[in-house]
Amino acid sequence: MVYLGATLSVATNRETDRQHTKHDHGEDEEREDRDEHDATLGPVTRVRKSRRMPTCTDPSPRSVVEALRGDRGTRPRADLTSASGLRSILEDGIFALLHNVLPATPIVLRASSLRQLGPSTDISESAHARVRGILVNHVLRLLSVGAAITDPFEDALRAWRLEVESGELLDFVERLQADDLARLATDVTAHSVTLMRSLGPVNHYWLPRSAMRATQMLCGGSVILRDVIDLMVGTTVGEFASVALFDVTTSPLGEGAERALRYHALVQTLRSGVVPLRTSCFSTATGEMWSLDVDGELLTRSADEVLCALANITSHA
Amino acid sequence: MTTFNFRRNTARELNELVRDAPVGVSLTDDHRRSLSARFRAVSSAGRRRLDAWSVEQAGQPSSGFHWTPATARRLLGNGAMRRMVRQSISPSEAVSDEIEDQLLRCASGYARAGSLAYWLASRSASEIALVSAEATNWAVQVHEIAQGLEREWRVAASDAFYDVASARTSLRARRDLEVPSVEGRVVLRVRSGSPGKSAGPGLRSDLTIDTLADPQGVAPRRFIGVWPEAGVMLSVDGTMDDLRAGARDLVRTAVVSERRRLQKAA
Repeated sequence: MVYLGATLSVATNRETDRQHTKHDHGEDEEREDRDEHDATLGPVTRVRKSRRMPTCTDPSPRSVVEALRGDRGTRPRADLTSASGLRSILEDGIFALLHNVLPATPIVLRASSLRQLGPSTDISESAHARVRGILVNHVLRLLSVGAAITDPFEDALRAWRLEVESGELLDFVERLQADDLARLATDVTAHSVTLMRSLGPVNHYWLPRSAMRATQMLCGGSVILRDVIDLMVGTTVGEFASVALFDVTTSPLGEGAERALRYHALVQTLRSGVVPLRTSCFSTATGEMWSLDVDGELLTRSADEVLCALANITSHA
Repeated sequence: MTTFNFRRNTARELNELVRDAPVGVSLTDDHRRSLSARFRAVSSAGRRRLDAWSVEQAGQPSSGFHWTPATARRLLGNGAMRRMVRQSISPSEAVSDEIEDQLLRCASGYARAGSLAYWLASRSASEIALVSAEATNWAVQVHEIAQGLEREWRVAASDAFYDVASARTSLRARRDLEVPSVEGRVVLRVRSGSPGKSAGPGLRSDLTIDTLADPQGVAPRRFIGVWPEAGVMLSVDGTMDDLRAGARDLVRTAVVSERRRLQKAA
């Protein structure tokens, strides 16, 4: 997993790191250990037989887009075979869960169903938070086509109004008092600035597409998996895996976000039949980015999580 | 009897559908006259416009058309695809060029009120960016489908239109990609969302209209509907049975919509 913090690539100073430092300086050692250091103080090889060398480590990605694309040379071959196996796992699991009794209306699962397993009250589900999320997503859509954004709130609101025209959340914004609207504008601007600073330029030739919808019907349409991927780059046509999925959230990242990351990869695999290269999530609240390389284990785990979420829904119904 | 082929949307399956398509039949003048007589038998208050959507909605009157990013994306996206075939540019660049062309058309006074160019000209920069994002999504999707094809393909020059003689009826079939060959053409139509229960009859009527719009009346070997969001494909062959069934769907839609109009008037 690649972490990209707001301060970009500042490694955590963990307990073990501190111990190593102390050990190198000899601070954590007793007097009787001195011999060990004495032995390493002198040159190991003869004079002129050794010299200083630069050490090369993997450089930290400078932007979100750079982290998304990764190193071209290390991409695996496109996996075109896993999708059918995953579908079988899901179909068998759903059949076992529903006991051959088809629900009257289809059960719809979304990424949000996996973010929050079980009934709970989440502050991120408030109207204010949802509007903020939608507007920040619109900022991402505008950035993906290279639009120059001067006022993130106004630009995103205009774009959103053009898209939806009417709706419950749009009515909520229309009804806001001036001070509440100003609070929302400040909030959206703050999150958008974090996104704009971290995203980096999106190359046209990486085929960026935003708000990509996906629907997968399982068990003859009894269960529907729905998903929207905020930004997708790369192509499914090619010898090597190159599709990177990117999700933006205005909440801090947590266990639920990790499940959503896996869910995006699963639905994309089922939809296109090609396993994506990686799936990533960026929090505009903390400036943190999580990125996972997609493999069979990750996808199987996500299929299990989908079945678990489904079991929760059917048990509450 | 119509047979619909339902497949997963993968390059291998698509190529199989194209490769194994049967040879399409041809419509004669008698067929056209017969269809015209059937449409003439259905009374109409004004001009009637029928397409796959009206067949799928069983002739329900649709609310007035207006431009949105979703309605503009196909026109701009397919225009961008044509540019990408001519010049070697990215989908985003092709969409930008297409939008600029539309704006230029409006600025030079060639756009009429209600046209896409006119609508785009009245939008702000951020709104145009959103339209551009939607059109880019469309262009990339269509381009990915086309790139998976083993045979030579081309972007359809326009949708298929057929005016039924003296029946005040216009038929329209959407088409996005064509795979031409010596044996005949295979037509692909890309659609949003996922296929509903009436997607088959809609596709069949597209096949019939496309055949009627052909000057020689040659049916496509196969008409393939692709739903990239759902990752599925549905196809119908260009056989006489399918063409007849498609024509029946269209006439039935005209009858139902006329009945609805009369009920409303009463």
